[in-house]
This record gives sequence, C-alpha cells and structure tokens, in this order.
Amino acid sequence: MEGKIIVVTSGKGGVGKTTATSSIGAALALEGKRVAIVDMDIGLRNLDVVMGLENRIVFNIVDVVQGRCKIDQAAIRDRRIDNLFLIPASQSDNKDVLTTSGVERVCNDLRKKFDYVLMDSPAGIEKGFQNSIVGANEALVVCTPDVSAVRDADRVIGLLYARSLEPRLIVNRIEPSRVERGEMLSHEDVMEVLSIELAGLVPMDEKVLISSNTGTPLVLQNESKAGQAFRRIAKRLNGETDVPIEIPTHKTSMWNKISKTFGLK
Amino acid sequence: MLQGLLKRFTGQKNSKEEAKKRLQFSLIYDKLEVNDTTLTDLQNDIVDVISKYFEIDRDSLELKVKRDDDVSALVFNTPILHVKRKQA
Repeated sequence: MEGKIIVVTSGKGGVGKTTATSSIGAALALEGKRVAIVDMDIGLRNLDVVMGLENRIVFNIVDVVQGRCKIDQAAIRDRRIDNLFLIPASQSDNKDVLTTSGVERVCNDLRKKFDYVLMDSPAGIEKGFQNSIVGANEALVVCTPDVSAVRDADRVIGLLYARSLEPRLIVNRIEPSRVERGEMLSHEDVMEVLSIELAGLVPMDEKVLISSNTGTPLVLQNESKAGQAFRRIAKRLNGETDVPIEIPTHKTSMWNKISKTFGLK
Repeated sequence: MLQGLLKRFTGQKNSKEEAKKRLQFSLIYDKLEVNDTTLTDLQNDIVDVISKYFEIDRDSLELKVKRDDDVSALVFNTPILHVKRKQA
C-alpha cells in the first residue's frame, strides 16, 4: 500500500510549523509507522537543527530532485526514534531551484517508501509553498490565535481548496488564561472565522524552546503539554478517531470561578 | 474578578471580540479584492445565464464591486433589449 503525503503549512512564518511538523512526524513514528519529514524551505533550512540532526547531513532534497542521489542516501535516520527519517533542505541553493514536476516525481517515489511523508512548507505562498503542496494527499494548516496568523491561514486555506485539498487546522500556542480573560481568540473564534475542520489544539509550552535548544524530540517528554497534544494529533491522523481533541485549560482559581458565574468575565 | 468588574463599569470590551470582528470583515474584503480575470469570468457567466431569458446589450454592461463602511455588494448593470419567449 502507498503512503500518504501530508503538507504542513501556514502562510505566516513563526507560528510553529517546524515544531508541528517534527513533532507530528516523530509521534507518527512512535505509533510504529515509517515516516519521512521533508524540509521544503530551500535556502533557509531549520528542521535539521530543531531535530538535532544537523551534523549528519550528506545529501538534501535538492540533490534528490535533481537526481544526484537516491532518497535512501539523503534520508537521515533518527537514532532515538525508530522509523523516523529527515530529508533536509539545501542551505546553499536558491529557493526557486526546484521544479514542481521534479518534486511531484520524487513525491511519487516517497509514497512507495514511507507510510507518512510530512512536507514542512516554507512561509509564504510562492513557489516554495506550491512545491510543498504539489504531491500532498492531505494538508494541515498551523495558526496561532492572532489576527495576522488567522488572516494568512485563511489565504492559504483558499489556495489549498483550489488544489482540491481539504485542510485541517491546528491552533498553536493557546494560552488558556488569556483566552479566559478575553485577551486572546479562543479556538472556537478561530474556527468560526476560518470555518474548517480542526486537527488539534496545542497549548503554549515553554518546553518547546527548550527541546529545540537541545535538539531533542518534544514528543518524548511526557511532561510537555504541547508534545502530548502533538501525539494526540498524530494518533488521530493515523486513524484513531476516538482520541478526543483536548481543549487546553489552566487551573481555575476560586475567584475566577465565582466571577465567571456572575458573568464578569 | 476586579478586572471583570472594572470592565463592566467602564464598558470596556474584550480585545478578542474586537480581533474577531476585525478579522471577519477583513477576510470578506480580502476575498472581494478579486483580480480582473475573475471579474471577467464572472461577468461572462452572468451574461450567459441572463441571456437565456433576456436579450441584453453586451457592450454596455458593467460589473462593479461596491463597498460601503460595513457592507460590500456586487453591482451588475445591464440594459435589457428584449424578453425572450420560452419555447415550449
């Protein structure tokens, strides 16, 4: 059976695409699937350093597409998680070096070798984005609860629909206390504005920065709320539809409960 | 709770409500910012449909996106020359 290619995209940069891609990829591998994560941000690669694999790069995705090496030569095996592979971006090439048809051809080969292939799209909606979605079977849109991220997500969702992809949404960096105070859009607000299906909700988590500092997988940290949220997203992607979407909460103080009862929040 | 009380008395709204409202409007406007080809395609489609029922002057019709403060409208203006008889 052929694998699935899932593109992770956002329009806006800095909303957590790379964290989401590496975490969901690692989590799918922990579910026992053979997973490749492809960094499509040519010229500005980051997945390798976030995943702690930067010292092991020999070939990259540009080499694969241009026929200079085989997929197996470019795919770096993660030694901590079985069946997890990274195909890094090239750091020296121009961002427009890949052709859409070349990427599409490689995507067809990748589907034969892996159960899941996650494409980490660059920010923006230009050629790099188009190359990331060309072979995709599914799409995940990451956004944070702020006006600029939501607006960009809407634009990207429109472009994905135009390619017959039905994207699902990940709302990242939710701060439950601020949502409760009415300072931050809730996931319901975001969903209402964007009107698409939800893939999962991820809380703001200090562990994300720490795990990228050391290049260790977030999903291996049981105490990381974001890591656990990504694990649940991966389970649902992998067909465990009975895993519920958990809404991030914070411990509510007595005063908050009382004032909420009286409609003061 | 004090914050809540204060907000209630000063009539201050939650900033997220404002964010949501602004987003909803801007997304609609973003989509109305259609390019020329889309507008031409739309115009041709509309003309085809109307032409089934009326004979219209193709040269003097116009299609515009009209914007007011809080509503947007598509305005299609065409003189009707004849009503076509439907053939049984």
